[in-house]
Amino acid sequence: MPSVVELSIGIAGLRTAVITRDPDVAGVVRDRYEGFLSTGPADWRIEIGPPSGGVPFSKDVVVRRDGGPARFSVRRHDFAGTVDLGERTADLTLTSPDDVSINSFLRILYSLALVEARGLVLHAASLIRDGGAYLFCGPSGSGKTTVARLSTDAALLSDELSIVRIAEGHVVCFGTPFRGELALAGEDRAAPLVGIYFLHHGGRHAVEALGPKEALARMLPNVLFFAREADVTAAVFHIAADLVEAVPCFDLSFRPDPGFWEVIRNA
Amino acid sequence: MPEAYLTQSPRTAWRVYDGEAAVLCPDDSTLNTLNAVGTLIWESADGKTAVSAIVARICEEFDVDPERAERDTMAFIAKLRERGLLTVSETIQQAP
Repeated sequence: MPSVVELSIGIAGLRTAVITRDPDVAGVVRDRYEGFLSTGPADWRIEIGPPSGGVPFSKDVVVRRDGGPARFSVRRHDFAGTVDLGERTADLTLTSPDDVSINSFLRILYSLALVEARGLVLHAASLIRDGGAYLFCGPSGSGKTTVARLSTDAALLSDELSIVRIAEGHVVCFGTPFRGELALAGEDRAAPLVGIYFLHHGGRHAVEALGPKEALARMLPNVLFFAREADVTAAVFHIAADLVEAVPCFDLSFRPDPGFWEVIRNA
Repeated sequence: MPEAYLTQSPRTAWRVYDGEAAVLCPDDSTLNTLNAVGTLIWESADGKTAVSAIVARICEEFDVDPERAERDTMAFIAKLRERGLLTVSETIQQAP
């Protein structure tokens, strides 16, 4: 029997130990999370069992409470697992040792685990420039990857999924390995979040300040969260509300050239 | 017409910005944004404030005639009920 491999991934200040006997899974984790491998005691433990052999688990993503207030069942066509928020443990069975499957489960795990840490996983690109982090939210096609590609003088935190955490009224944005079209992982760095920009393509660069009510309405569709239970959904709502109240929010219309940084600076 | 009392669904989460509420329905993650009158009704949905008292407050605060205020209030309540955001009872409801 292959020996147990334990790898530690640190994302947004939460360290997760991945434990598996499958050498293919271990190889995928090593390669996929290269910039985020860490050492030290883990906050979370995920045990990944042997592949199930290709039987689909569920057509859609299903995350629901199962067997206790802190225990969630997580299923998709290519994986099934449980997440225990109380024990900070998870187990996962994959149909095959695929990096997309492991990555998708990890995104869901972090979306659940971060609630307790007053954090969110957001559909947003994020960049550090002049010491501050800038978050660019929007659905596919809104320009997240374009903004990241045009910002050659900024450090990339993510071009697809960003993580923010709130502590004592301060908001910090973290780099993630959750990459989009840029096919480039973000850097394992963090910076205070100085602005949130809701992206859309336009004929010119323009920034318009948003009040918290409108910003919250525009923020919520960008929150990665699948559970529908009222208590956790309410917790996510309040973190999102605290976020838009703590950080200036703007509508950003932009053309595909770096000039949008100029209007951001002047706003 | 018998008196009625409104109670917010405990499944909702909400905040008020500049006198206007944003109410999340967890079942479909829809955010319902209410105007000032809707927010007054929502904040009064405590299980013990009668709808007639809510209508009277709307007439007073927004300078609306009672007939119109009652008609609009009932239509608004029906909408929020339909969305599962509140319940209507003929008796006072105790806080959960």
